[in-house]
Amino acid sequence: MATARRAAPPHWVTTATLGLSLLALGLTAYLTITHYTDPTALACPDTGIVNCTAVTTSAWSVILGVPVALIGLLWAVSMTALDSPWAWRSSARWLDTARLALSGAGAAMVCYLVYVELFRVDAICLWCTAVHVTTIALFGVILAARASMASGAPTGTTGRHGARGRRATSLAP
Amino acid sequence: MAKASSGSGSDKRPVRPNQAGASAPQDPKNRSSQPRPAGQPRQAGQPRPAAARRTAPPPATGFTAFRREHPMMAALVPVALVIVALVALVVVKATGGSSAAPPASKVEAGGASVSTTAGTSALPAGVLSDVTSVSPATLAAIGEPSATVAPSSTGAKTSLTASDGKPEILFIGAEYCPFCAAERWSVVEALSRFGTFSGLSATHSSTSDVYPDTQTFSFYGATYSSASLDFTSVELETNQASGDSYTTLQTPTAAQQALLSKYDKAPYTDQPGSIPFLDIDNKYIGVGSGFTPQVLQGLSMTQIAAQLNNPNSAVATAIDGEANRLVTAITAATGIQPDAATAQGS
Repeated sequence: MATARRAAPPHWVTTATLGLSLLALGLTAYLTITHYTDPTALACPDTGIVNCTAVTTSAWSVILGVPVALIGLLWAVSMTALDSPWAWRSSARWLDTARLALSGAGAAMVCYLVYVELFRVDAICLWCTAVHVTTIALFGVILAARASMASGAPTGTTGRHGARGRRATSLAP
Repeated sequence: MAKASSGSGSDKRPVRPNQAGASAPQDPKNRSSQPRPAGQPRQAGQPRPAAARRTAPPPATGFTAFRREHPMMAALVPVALVIVALVALVVVKATGGSSAAPPASKVEAGGASVSTTAGTSALPAGVLSDVTSVSPATLAAIGEPSATVAPSSTGAKTSLTASDGKPEILFIGAEYCPFCAAERWSVVEALSRFGTFSGLSATHSSTSDVYPDTQTFSFYGATYSSASLDFTSVELETNQASGDSYTTLQTPTAAQQALLSKYDKAPYTDQPGSIPFLDIDNKYIGVGSGFTPQVLQGLSMTQIAAQLNNPNSAVATAIDGEANRLVTAITAATGIQPDAATAQGS
């Protein structure tokens, strides 16, 4: 059986995902560096609900002994690799699966961390929020890219018909 | 290879159900069903041609239909769900989901009345005995930490003495301060080798400051008795927010303020005016905590105290190690040796 060939991603997909991944990489690197050097040195106001250091030094800033900032950095490094132009051009399906799984896991982690910020620490970290927004945007772009590539993909070498052809057959009066 | 559709007989071209001349084979189980005339729409109740039944997917309904019509929007549904979840969290928080304030009351502990402030409570049972009964073997195994700065020698010739003539140790901190919260554990442990605390209460650092809600003792209302040392503490503020600061609890005397002015600056600290401030007989000065409050994060007082006799515990390494260092400084400053009996908890 021949292997289905994946359509090349649109240019905006590679640009957007790589850009967002690099942004996440920079943000998480900053949070990790400050975690290991001086957590109080985060450039962030500490008035009212916005208080970065209260979040980044709380009991929930470490999971099983590993700082959340470091987990985020490792995630961003992985996403940057998966969103590189070379990875997007690769026909290896596991890359697509890993990209989707990691971005989905990132979005789920965002939900957990926002819950912790709001209901456990009672403070919001602006730098963390920037990472959260970037993560969700990256998840959205990857999902949109998959939809775009699926709907506009060539039929590949298996001869399977796309959704448009099947619909035209079934709906004819 | 899958076929898009199949005609009857030898005709291998894809056949559209409404194509003129196309004929569907009779359903052997329903001989009465008749194919509709070519070019006319199928009537309600009339069966679909067999070719169409084989080639067409089942009628799409609900999300399947939505996904076919709007593949891009359907793909973004997971993102929409994440955003909805986040918005829901914010709405719940905004409509009253905040955490409750810690209890504030006057409590009875160990049969004695303990003065507490808002944000403090009675010491949990067993905590003080755990802190004061760390075994010499554990203390020896942990030793003194080398990663952080020990109290600095002042080189002063004049001792800080109390009215009774005993060498004095002065602690100035605040209940909201997380570094004070960390340091108090070691201060209590170290001084308990020279005397006895009573009336200690439980408190925590500010929930909105760095290392929030670090669990600790409060020296406010506590007393310390020792045959050889005096201990004086000043808790400047509570952990209860008041405007941009915290409620004032105690005010240092003029003499204590003079010590702050003299020693709470370089070379004893690179952050002048910081707390906790520890003056050991004017011979040694410690500004700041001897370890990071991070190691205490998320732990209750009971959980912290229970680890102090475990030399493999990061909590014990931090607290016991700093306590060892304070004992060394006290002994060096005053020449007084820790009470071995007290150290063994007997």
